[in-house]
Amino acid sequence: MATVQLSEAEKVYVLHGIRDDLRVDGRSCEDYRHMEIETDVVSNTDGSAKVTLGHTAVLVGIKAEMGKPRPAQPAEGYLEFFVDCSANATPEFEGRGGEELGTELTNTLYRVFNNKRSVDLASLCISPGEHCWLLYVDVLLLQCDGNLYDGISIAIKAALFNTKLPKVLISEGEEGGTEIELSDDPYDSVRLSVDNVPCIVTLCKVGPRHVVDATLQEKACSVASLIMAVTPAGTCTCMRKVGGGSLDPESFFEMTEAGRRVGRALHGPLMALLSQEEALGQKRQKVGFLG
Amino acid sequence: MSPMKLCVPGDKLCSTDDCIPGTGVYMRHGYIYSSLAGYVLKKNEGEELPVISVVRETETQLLPDVGAIVTCKVTSINPRFAKVHILYVGSTPLKDRFRGTIRKEDVRATEKDKVETYKSFRPGDIVLAKVISLGDVQSNYLLTTAENELGVVVAHSEAGAQMVPINWCEMQCPRTHTKEFRKVARVQPEYLHA
Amino acid sequence: MPTDTKRIRGPEVSQSLSRFICKPETTLPSDGTRADGRNRDQVDVRPVFVRCGLVSQAKGSAYIEAGNTKLICCVYGPKETERKDETDMKCGRLFADMRFAPFSCPERGSWIQGSQEKDLSLMVLESLQPAVCLHKYPRSQIDVNVMVLENNGSALAHAITCASLALADAGIEMYDLVLGCSIRQDGASYLIDPTFLEESGSYWASGENQGSLTVSFLPSLNQISGLQSDGEMGEGTLTAGVRTCIEGCYKLYPVIQQALVKAVRGAAPPPSES
Repeated sequence: MATVQLSEAEKVYVLHGIRDDLRVDGRSCEDYRHMEIETDVVSNTDGSAKVTLGHTAVLVGIKAEMGKPRPAQPAEGYLEFFVDCSANATPEFEGRGGEELGTELTNTLYRVFNNKRSVDLASLCISPGEHCWLLYVDVLLLQCDGNLYDGISIAIKAALFNTKLPKVLISEGEEGGTEIELSDDPYDSVRLSVDNVPCIVTLCKVGPRHVVDATLQEKACSVASLIMAVTPAGTCTCMRKVGGGSLDPESFFEMTEAGRRVGRALHGPLMALLSQEEALGQKRQKVGFLG
Repeated sequence: MSPMKLCVPGDKLCSTDDCIPGTGVYMRHGYIYSSLAGYVLKKNEGEELPVISVVRETETQLLPDVGAIVTCKVTSINPRFAKVHILYVGSTPLKDRFRGTIRKEDVRATEKDKVETYKSFRPGDIVLAKVISLGDVQSNYLLTTAENELGVVVAHSEAGAQMVPINWCEMQCPRTHTKEFRKVARVQPEYLHA
Repeated sequence: MPTDTKRIRGPEVSQSLSRFICKPETTLPSDGTRADGRNRDQVDVRPVFVRCGLVSQAKGSAYIEAGNTKLICCVYGPKETERKDETDMKCGRLFADMRFAPFSCPERGSWIQGSQEKDLSLMVLESLQPAVCLHKYPRSQIDVNVMVLENNGSALAHAITCASLALADAGIEMYDLVLGCSIRQDGASYLIDPTFLEESGSYWASGENQGSLTVSFLPSLNQISGLQSDGEMGEGTLTAGVRTCIEGCYKLYPVIQQALVKAVRGAAPPPSES
């Protein structure tokens, strides 16, 4: 993990600030940093999004392929996640350095989406037991400045919103088999419902309080954090404690409450923003990677 | 005598007002807790409060610490230092291998500049040494033999016989009577074991 | 894992028999009792059998059995670290590895560690780390290996308990024991210490509050050292679940304490007072 070294005096400064609800960059404990979202940034994907959160930058590309449904769930499609921690983000990730963090992030994403309601998997099925859509969700870390989980989950939600699957027609073949026909019209596509896609909120326990969207400096002062995947309805699809420390039950209950509150508040503006961008259509000025 | 009290990690033993923490315990919020599974031992050592510690049957795993006397085996030498494997800490055998280094200037206390490592140690020698530092990222444990009581205790001659010390810097082979140079330890009775 | 190339390895693709069996009712019976006679909505953990010091070669080891879930854990070290960086100089490093034996689950697994096992290993590591006094072991590493011999549910929770017991048996200094407990939430009711069937059963059933939760807890310090939830649950359900798990841990505590005390007593007579 990309980390920074802090001296004791710096830690005390950060800690005292958080105690008084004023963080080093002027935010209060439950504020996010400035966030920028742009969808449809890579033309070769079926859906893509780039999210910058402070200096953390995440790019998500979704590619849809046709595959065979899993034997256990014949009437459902599925999602495959992969998080790549490239050496671009920080030199520590060079070689196999980022592998550990990548696996951790990937496994958490699987867990977050491991339920029936986050994504309507049944809508990804083309013909039960035979064909389904398989969505490869590939996450690329471009810059690391703390709070990767939140950035990634927001980018995934935006990319899923942006995903357009071509319409597929199924007809009986000549010899009894099924035939699949893709629609010729590129605008004739189906969208995914992202109404229940959760966003991850990471709460870092720093001293007696907790902060959301911790920077690397704040992360260095914290011993344990709690990540929660919160749906717009306020339910939680995954929760786990990360880091080497422990939490006492009371502060844990406080943190879940705060996580739910922050998570729910995050979805409204995010969806509004996404539809606003969508409404601009072709006229939208593309920012790309230089913004 | 009542059977001795047993405890597991996390057991609250007593208040810090009643005892002084010894080994195998830790303090938290004015109380002493056990950090090991073992027997609770209270000892009066002439001070006002007894020392409370938790002990196990087999000695708890010791790690070489600064100031500890260790027994080690020389694995290789070069003009600047000798590399050793630490075998014992005090009288406790180590289960796993720990590597250490005796630098040339730490071999003896006087005339440090005239030390020649190959006249002090040979691979295979058993050496008593003291830990001076845990070392940094690049180096291993740093050891010293710069005391009269520290140095080679067991060495074999080229003929393969165990040599007898004749003075602080020489040992003699009982079979061939050749003399070889070593930094010989004057073994103190309290370190004699096994 | 080296593979034996001379051996006939069978067809490349094979499927478990279980796939062809007509599955009995997969939804859990929603009335009070569970298949093994325990009750829903009660902190009714399976009775556990624990024993320390089974593997003589290891520094410490422990075996745990809860119903048909059987695990063994070994602790090696402290030994010299292989990987070195600045932080190792001040405090030690803990490594945890959790594996399922290929025959431990109804369907055969692979010998190669999958991503699920890596995830569980990380969870075991993060649950144990707050409890171990790593600052007492500078420059060294402690290895914890957990092997699941038979998986009948709640493997992770029992792995954590077993690992902390093995650490204590190895004489590694710890602030507290770590106990694990999991629940399976099924709508408004919960099943504590679920079996494999209960764990997977109607996982994908529709309805609200379907999920599972594993908590690891330091009973004496009253701290949550690890937590992992799966499925979709409301916040109220989650916090209630955490409380239930903590209660379950407290039920386990005396059993674990006794097993450890027994192991210490069995290993050697009390030292003389002198």
